[in-house]
Amino acid sequence: MADEALMATGSWVAAMLRSSTPLMMVTLGETLTQRVGIVNLGIEGQMLCGACTGFAVAAQTGSPALGLAAGAIAGLLLSVIHSALCLTCEANQIGSGIAVWTLGLGLTSYFGRSVIGGKVSGLAPLAGSKFSDVPLVGPILTQLTFIAPAAIIIVLVAGFWLYRTRTGLNWRIVGESSQAARALGLRPVMIQAQGILVGGLLSGFAGAILSVDYTQTWANEMTKGRGFVAVGLVIVARWNPYLVLPVVLLFGLSEAATLRLQATGLSLSPYLIACLPYFVCLLCVIIVSIREGRIGGMPAELASVFDRKS
Amino acid sequence: MNGADRVRLLAACGGSAAFLIAAAIFLAAIGRPPLMTLGQMALYAFGDSYSLSESLVKATPILLCALAVILPARLGLITVGGEGQLYFGALTGTAIVVSFPNGPMFLLLPAVLLAGAIGGAFWSGAAGFLRARCNVNETISTLLMNYVAVLLVNYVIYGAWKDPASLGWPASIAFPPAATVPSLFGTRVHLGLVVGVIAALILHVGVTYGRWGIALRVLSGNRKVGAMAGFSFVRQTLLVMTIGGSLAGFAGICETSAIQGRLQAGLSVGYGLTGFLVAWLSGQNFLRAVPIAILIGGLIAAGDALQLYSKVPSASATILQGMLFVAALGARGLAGRWSSRYG
Amino acid sequence: MSLPLVKMSAISKTFGPVIANDDVSLEIHAGEVLALLGENGAGKSTLMKILYGFYRPDGGTIQVDGSVAAFASPRDAMAHGIGMVFQQFSLVTALSVLENLLAALPGAPWLQLRRRPRVAEALRWLHRLAPNLDPQRPVRSLSVGERQLVELAKVLNLDARVIILDEPTSVLTPAETERLYGFIKSLAADGKAVVLITHKLADVAACADRITIMRGGKVVDRATKCDRSSDALVEAMVGVGSLGHLDPPAPMRGNLPILRVRNLAAEVQARTISSISFELAEGEIFGIAGVSGNGQFVLAEALAGLVPVTDGDVVLAGTSIASHSDDGAIAADVAYIPERPLDNAVVPDIDLCLNLALRTARDLAFFPSRRNIEDRASRLISDYDVRPPQSALLAAALSGGNLQKLVVARELSRRPRLVIACYPTMGLDVLASQAVYREIFRHVATGACVVWISEDLDDLMNYAHRIAVIHDGRIVGIVRREEADRQTLGRWMAGYSEESV
Repeated sequence: MADEALMATGSWVAAMLRSSTPLMMVTLGETLTQRVGIVNLGIEGQMLCGACTGFAVAAQTGSPALGLAAGAIAGLLLSVIHSALCLTCEANQIGSGIAVWTLGLGLTSYFGRSVIGGKVSGLAPLAGSKFSDVPLVGPILTQLTFIAPAAIIIVLVAGFWLYRTRTGLNWRIVGESSQAARALGLRPVMIQAQGILVGGLLSGFAGAILSVDYTQTWANEMTKGRGFVAVGLVIVARWNPYLVLPVVLLFGLSEAATLRLQATGLSLSPYLIACLPYFVCLLCVIIVSIREGRIGGMPAELASVFDRKS
Repeated sequence: MNGADRVRLLAACGGSAAFLIAAAIFLAAIGRPPLMTLGQMALYAFGDSYSLSESLVKATPILLCALAVILPARLGLITVGGEGQLYFGALTGTAIVVSFPNGPMFLLLPAVLLAGAIGGAFWSGAAGFLRARCNVNETISTLLMNYVAVLLVNYVIYGAWKDPASLGWPASIAFPPAATVPSLFGTRVHLGLVVGVIAALILHVGVTYGRWGIALRVLSGNRKVGAMAGFSFVRQTLLVMTIGGSLAGFAGICETSAIQGRLQAGLSVGYGLTGFLVAWLSGQNFLRAVPIAILIGGLIAAGDALQLYSKVPSASATILQGMLFVAALGARGLAGRWSSRYG
Repeated sequence: MSLPLVKMSAISKTFGPVIANDDVSLEIHAGEVLALLGENGAGKSTLMKILYGFYRPDGGTIQVDGSVAAFASPRDAMAHGIGMVFQQFSLVTALSVLENLLAALPGAPWLQLRRRPRVAEALRWLHRLAPNLDPQRPVRSLSVGERQLVELAKVLNLDARVIILDEPTSVLTPAETERLYGFIKSLAADGKAVVLITHKLADVAACADRITIMRGGKVVDRATKCDRSSDALVEAMVGVGSLGHLDPPAPMRGNLPILRVRNLAAEVQARTISSISFELAEGEIFGIAGVSGNGQFVLAEALAGLVPVTDGDVVLAGTSIASHSDDGAIAADVAYIPERPLDNAVVPDIDLCLNLALRTARDLAFFPSRRNIEDRASRLISDYDVRPPQSALLAAALSGGNLQKLVVARELSRRPRLVIACYPTMGLDVLASQAVYREIFRHVATGACVVWISEDLDDLMNYAHRIAVIHDGRIVGIVRREEADRQTLGRWMAGYSEESV
């Protein structure tokens, strides 16, 4: 009996980790971008491009690793547009993000048609199937690939880097006050560009994980607003990379739960169940907003983006 | 022409030029002769009366969704919820049809339209309430609620409202003639366009010359000072969000009733997002939104025709919209930078 | 005469139509304190910002140690040993003291981790200046005086040879001011050059070795400390013969209280006030002194009815004007001149006409007449000398002083029973300040009561009928003007209340 419970728990943990890794990467990416004072709503489009490109390359070359890399680069390229608009042209950040999203939507809808139905060989799982009976860790090791632990490590490294290194300190200063940054001799625009590009890399990578590792398919608009959920989760995680981990894992848990609910043949329509993640995200944002008002933890430079129209 | 107008004109010209160049490059990249294709698209959009009517058909929901973005923008709120409000309005309007399929036209049609408007108003007002009372950023909430609204529509058309006669294709019952929005001049262009244009006019006059406009400007510039002037941010937020949402909801039910004939998947091809684009291109100006909505409606109609006749996937229209948006933002931003540096 | 450390020659700088610096020359020597004296708007700050590399001069040269230097950014200036402590501090409030100091240390490699010798280096000067300050505290939680010390430590960490202080004493208690004077003199004794930008004669008297006086963008006089009297200095600052005369306000009329504040408590963004109680009679000027950041803003907003009160009440002429909901509104017979007008009193992106009409906006017609609004605005603009007198300008285009005049015009052209004035002469020169005081006294003469929040003890002691001191959100003491003395007020400002004498 205890064994069964452990196996079930392990299986749950595996499902939770698998469904939260893409979200984890894109949320981390947007956290870092917002930490330098830039809002990028285009991460949804970047994620789509990463998913489509990653899938196409993986299917073509037969190497999922190449696909993941290609996806990351695709996200990076799209984020260059956001960077050019916000920093060089000083365009409104929200508008620019929506524009990038539109481009990503269009490009992936257009070029993704030829990729639908392709096949990718997945990445190797962490452990061979003979481990599948080991209590608790068995299902975890056999169902996860190196992506999940890699993602967790990336998040932890990012947190350490942000809070304990000089460049991380510089990024935080730019996000709090570009005036103070300039007084210290920093170049806010350069650092903001880096923040946007890193966000692009991570969101493209997240999309590629979604198509190449998690679902191993490509479908039109397959990210289904995960990018926007990420923007909400950044607020819930209070712009702290370390907090991204528990927040996203909790979220992944709720998503895994909805999939299980559907599988148990509950008489509730799958469409209603699919609403749950968005409601959960919205609820979290509401709770955080009520408790903290506008200020709590938000990098000060972001306040001017959210409070003024342009 | 004063300085600000000159900057705007410069931005418009520069942006249009940048867009055309980018569009040409894109068309060349997918293997189509750029100039010829662009010319073809112009013809598909406005070449004859049929094309024009199709463009106006597309322009109607786009205009209404654009108005739904512009009004809150005057208060400084950035909402991208047109799509969700459109879908939810379609949902609530269809609810009336499904409940009273045999009602007389003079009662049924107004009730259906009203229900659609109220649905959109509710969907948008909820986000407005969250912003006014809980300080939840309206951009995020409206974006998330878009997806929920689409899922809710799917829920009913696959479930409770599924028309058994539609043989597996998920859709509601067909709208009876009593619930069909009347069309104009025998084309597919319907009443919704008239409502949209009138709404644009009324909103323009009310906001530009009325005390309401002053309240919106003051509150959007500085909420605290608005309180000093006796204006209420909470009240105005709810007002602009519900009015805007009602227009988008109205668009949704009109699309369902007049164009689709029933509530089914594929109700909107991103009209909400396109409305957002039109709102930004028009500089958040109600009157300018009308011709721009018609132009973009033409773009989308041409994209559809291109798919039909030249086998170019209609997603190309989305790509072109994205390019247009990027070009417009970039041009306007650069022009603003240039003017503030050199006076 | 020893070689100057820094020599600025024929510096000029214009911002659009405004000439900030006009052919200004200056010498800074090591081991001495140079006071750069002048009124608000005289160009002192701009000049030093040019030296610090914040601005590029339109004309003229800068020489450091005899060789010409051109600073493209503050980083260049810091590399040459020039440091500046700003009036609006450039600390990042969300970060800790230690992080702010670490960020300013030069020459750190990009992947620098927080090693112990580095931390010790960053805290070197902080231990000397503020030995009891915990470096892990977020700057947000520090008082203004403490923040200034952190800024000073930041600059000294860079081995600055020239230290520029921009109006440092305007935000300090008398005790903190004395302590700062001591630091300044010891820095000079250590061989550093200190430039003290100020408009206060007390600063000059306390520590200046040499004085350079600026007016209207030009240098009008140079002196060493001893050879000028304070009257002569003031004349040089404001120009001979242009000093007006201000009649003190009329004495109070009767004793019946018109304003009753009972046990008031409120909160704005984590700053609170509590147990505020006082009563004002008709025609009484009630001054509130205190270091900024001790609850003045919350008090002003609560009195005006713009912020919900958590306890207590404000009753004006029998009617309660305190607000209990989030959507506050200000009563018609209350005039409110807030601090920081650009943030709290005007809408920057709207023209002057509308900004001036804000208090009567709710009474406008449904489709208001543009002409009426413009006429009224023009009248107010000329009556209160707002420059430039173009009612179509956006409020953001006005300078700080003119913005203040705009707000005064809007609020004091009404018929208030209560005037809440917060730092009403901020950014104004002597003549404009006197004009504002005259306006306030005019209302006092007709029976209005005034709550006057100010940092200037001299003004309060000259003109207020009673003076209260606010500290940490509470009133720690109230005295009548005749009985007030600087020492007691200073002690109260630092937090020692009447009981703990």
